[in-house]
Amino acid sequence: MTRNKAIALAVKIVFWVLIIAFFWWAFTSEAFAKIYESPGTFFNLLSQHLTMVGISAGLAIVIAVPLGIFITRPKFRKSEWLLVNIANLGQTIPSIAILALAMGFLGIGIRAAIVALFIYSLLPILQNTIAGLDSVDPAAKDAAKGMGLTPAQILFKIELPSASYSILAGIRTAVVLNIGTAALAYLIGGGGLGVWIFTGIQLFDPQFLISGAVPVTLLAILVDYMFRGLQFAVVPKGLRLARQAAIKQA
Amino acid sequence: MKKAIGVVGLASVALLGACSSGDQVTVGAKNFTEQFILAKMTELLLEQEGYEVEMRDNLGSTALRQALENGQVDVTWDYTGTGLVTYNGEDPIADVDEAFARIQEVDGEQGITWTNISEVNNTYTLVMREDQANELGIESISDLSDYVNDNPGEFRMASDAEFANRPDGLPGVYETYGFEFGDAQVIEMNYGLNYDAIGNEEVEVAVGFSTDSRIPELNLINLEDDMDFFPAYSAAVSMTTEIYEEFPEMEEVFQRMADILDSEIMAELNYQVDIEQRNVDEVAEEFLQESGLLE
Repeated sequence: MTRNKAIALAVKIVFWVLIIAFFWWAFTSEAFAKIYESPGTFFNLLSQHLTMVGISAGLAIVIAVPLGIFITRPKFRKSEWLLVNIANLGQTIPSIAILALAMGFLGIGIRAAIVALFIYSLLPILQNTIAGLDSVDPAAKDAAKGMGLTPAQILFKIELPSASYSILAGIRTAVVLNIGTAALAYLIGGGGLGVWIFTGIQLFDPQFLISGAVPVTLLAILVDYMFRGLQFAVVPKGLRLARQAAIKQA
Repeated sequence: MKKAIGVVGLASVALLGACSSGDQVTVGAKNFTEQFILAKMTELLLEQEGYEVEMRDNLGSTALRQALENGQVDVTWDYTGTGLVTYNGEDPIADVDEAFARIQEVDGEQGITWTNISEVNNTYTLVMREDQANELGIESISDLSDYVNDNPGEFRMASDAEFANRPDGLPGVYETYGFEFGDAQVIEMNYGLNYDAIGNEEVEVAVGFSTDSRIPELNLINLEDDMDFFPAYSAAVSMTTEIYEEFPEMEEVFQRMADILDSEIMAELNYQVDIEQRNVDEVAEEFLQESGLLE
């Protein structure tokens, strides 16, 4: 075992020990009491949280990926700076301010939260879609053209598979951030597990805080792993091997 | 390089030392307008007396209390009812003087001293839109209870997380008046937005503070607490006994504030900030100058 590998292993072990210690502490001090004392409320908050994340991230994916493809077509290249700047602007406004702005025209509640989260999720997906498509080897596209493939065939057979790793990475980032940001929805009456987190903060009650925060964290980790799995499944094997080779060389 | 870090370190230690040469006091405040105003006035008066004042505001009630117990905050304006029910799990006391005497006694044992009770009584209240309440004939919380029991699931209520879960908040109201909103009917949000929510007819009932100027402004009415559930929430100074003993003369400074404040004045000051959108610092300073407390 090399020295680096040993350090990585040690860090991993410490990390897992800390996690186990945390959960041991949490269970013995009844920090999750709220979850089993009022499961109805918990599942209600959880489903609100999932609804917000699901709808806002789903819409962001459905809109940002085609938009990224559209922008990278030679004909529409010129519109790239405009759209990317608009999306950038959306990201620079603090998430809490987007919530407040959305509330301005949609009122309190879950709808305003969904709109805010949607705006917040657009940029990482759009950026990664563009970057992924831009990084496709021009020689491969040339070759495809030479073989007589139509532009649509080139897109679906060459470009998208090659860019899929990057696109999925963008979606992964957006959704994981989205799950955490959705906790702020409490502030504008959007519900979700943030309600318990903020109750915990306002009442200084760790039971509320942990019963709300830990499920949100676990949700984010779960989704992160899910998308990693998806990346593994979707990305062509050849590209994956090339990637690994590149990492090894570096 | 190491030398440079050492010099910077020494310099900052010296700087910190220089700062604390004045009498330093940390003033804490909760997360709503009235508290910001009270804390600002406290800061201005203390600074006039030559204290170095640090602010820790925008804290939830219990976070502020925790900070006071830890000594991260020295002085704060708090409410007798909150002190009794939320911090100490005591029964609420409706009588103002009795409540103050009781909290002095209970907290005194824990190293927290209460002084300077004022005539500001900022109790919780449930509000409804005046037109709707009149139409449905709801004047008191008992009326509300009857209505909710007859029409379950119809009324929605806006509340902040604190009121929704405090024993002297919604759970206590349910128990005293014998009704309950469903889980989905209570919409929890940041305090202050609940007024927008009820004003925009997105909910039918909201929690408020009786000194909040938005209640008359938005044509809302306070539902009468006909079973005297909400205790007296007289504003008074709550400080660590340690700081009280170190600077006994502070009590006199705060008394000047306590003497001139009452619920009506507090509502007016809140009005200037919440409705007229004036700056908290400006409102506090102007009021103290007009009252002759600040030069």
